[in-house]
Amino acid sequence: MTEVAQLATLIIFAANALLVAGLIALKTTHRIRGRQQAKRKRRYMGLVSRHIAYPNCTDPITPAMATDPAFLDAVIDVRNAVVGPEVETLRGIVDRHGVMAHQIRRLRSSFPLGRRLRAAVALAELGDETAAGVLIHHLSDREPEIRIQAAKGLGRMGWTPAIDVIVGRFATETPWVRARFADTLLGFGSAATWPLLAYITVNHRFEREGPVAAIRALAALGDDQATQTLIEVLHEATDPEVKIATVETLGALGSPRAVPVLRNQIRSPDWRIRAKTVTALGEIGDVGSLDLLARALTDSDWWVRRNAAAALAKVGGGVDRLYEALIGKDRFAADAAAESLADAGELAAARRRIGEGRPRERDMTLVGHMSGDRP
Amino acid sequence: MEKKRILVADDSETITTLLTTALESGGYLVTTATDGYETYELGKTGVFDLVILDQLMPGLLGLEVIDRWQAEGVTTPVIVLSGVDDDRTVVDSFDRGAVDFVRKPFRVPELLARVRHRLSV
Repeated sequence: MTEVAQLATLIIFAANALLVAGLIALKTTHRIRGRQQAKRKRRYMGLVSRHIAYPNCTDPITPAMATDPAFLDAVIDVRNAVVGPEVETLRGIVDRHGVMAHQIRRLRSSFPLGRRLRAAVALAELGDETAAGVLIHHLSDREPEIRIQAAKGLGRMGWTPAIDVIVGRFATETPWVRARFADTLLGFGSAATWPLLAYITVNHRFEREGPVAAIRALAALGDDQATQTLIEVLHEATDPEVKIATVETLGALGSPRAVPVLRNQIRSPDWRIRAKTVTALGEIGDVGSLDLLARALTDSDWWVRRNAAAALAKVGGGVDRLYEALIGKDRFAADAAAESLADAGELAAARRRIGEGRPRERDMTLVGHMSGDRP
Repeated sequence: MEKKRILVADDSETITTLLTTALESGGYLVTTATDGYETYELGKTGVFDLVILDQLMPGLLGLEVIDRWQAEGVTTPVIVLSGVDDDRTVVDSFDRGAVDFVRKPFRVPELLARVRHRLSV
């Protein structure tokens, strides 16, 4: 029995030793390969740089280089450093030596995932229009990261026929992919505005996530052409999440045309909508909303009061209203006003003036309030 | 004729390789630096005819390097290279005595022309 136990221990020990040796060998090989690849990449960067700086350069680029990941990395790095005709020179190098075709073949293959993903990243980074058709196809790839890279590449090349396809996928994607898709739409600029608006108009009554992502994408695009349609969406929408996103986006777009529809939302029974509405009015900087914002300081929800106070600090004449609230009867409004005044630098200025022996009356009120000395 | 010496300071290997290749092929002697302190020390020697200086580098910012050189009387002309695309950086660069400003990404022939022009002044 003892001998059997000893033998078993020996076998387990030997197996463990083999495993550890295997792992060390694997790690060493990986490290050596990494160093060799970095060395080749430096060499290729020099080669590509010579072709960029001197278009008549005759230093050869061989077919073997075109399939080397280090060459691809070098091309992408140089591509990101230059602009103008040099990008065309790089495109010529990439086309002539079959780099794109090689990456497209890799992306189309069924496996391994790592290689497909690297190909997708490479095609996205190169942003070459010859890959547009393939990237559109892979917007519905089974792998989410490949779908994202496909959208990124299409955005980078500004391939506008892809906008509808990307927007159309909003409804079926996970929140993560949807958010990344929305980011890629920034690459298309204002060309993405109308497809997004069309999608929102058609779908906001029937679904939530897709339209909300589309509305937030419009905020990031910052195109004022979206304002009118979003005003209509805010009139019609019943879903609170859609309303919240629309209010936020109208605030971000900053058009005074949105003020009337936003003022209506201040009566919403949903505190989240009221809170976002006062923030939006502050971002637009609408002086005509001062009374409304001052009244919102007495809202039943603290978040609305806090946002209203922050909004007042951004609107001309709003600071005076905050000081008025400070001496008003509503203790909660006074607290929100004091916090906002402190954030706006009023407290520091008041303390400085007091220290210099030339305080204003309201300086004493603010400092007194902050130290718990309420009237 | 003695070759002109240029110091290329950038923490991006791509940029230093690209500029070194382009400038050496143009007949210049190029030295590279990859952080602010190394750049400052090299520039202090005063052996360079021109410096191409990245604004955002580890250690010291490009503009901080210029400040230190000026405090020590280094008068080598500096072309600031920057990916920070705001007017403030451009104005600050010229206020500190930079002779030129180039935004990243850049055109290689244009940068070479600026270098030629500066070295012929």
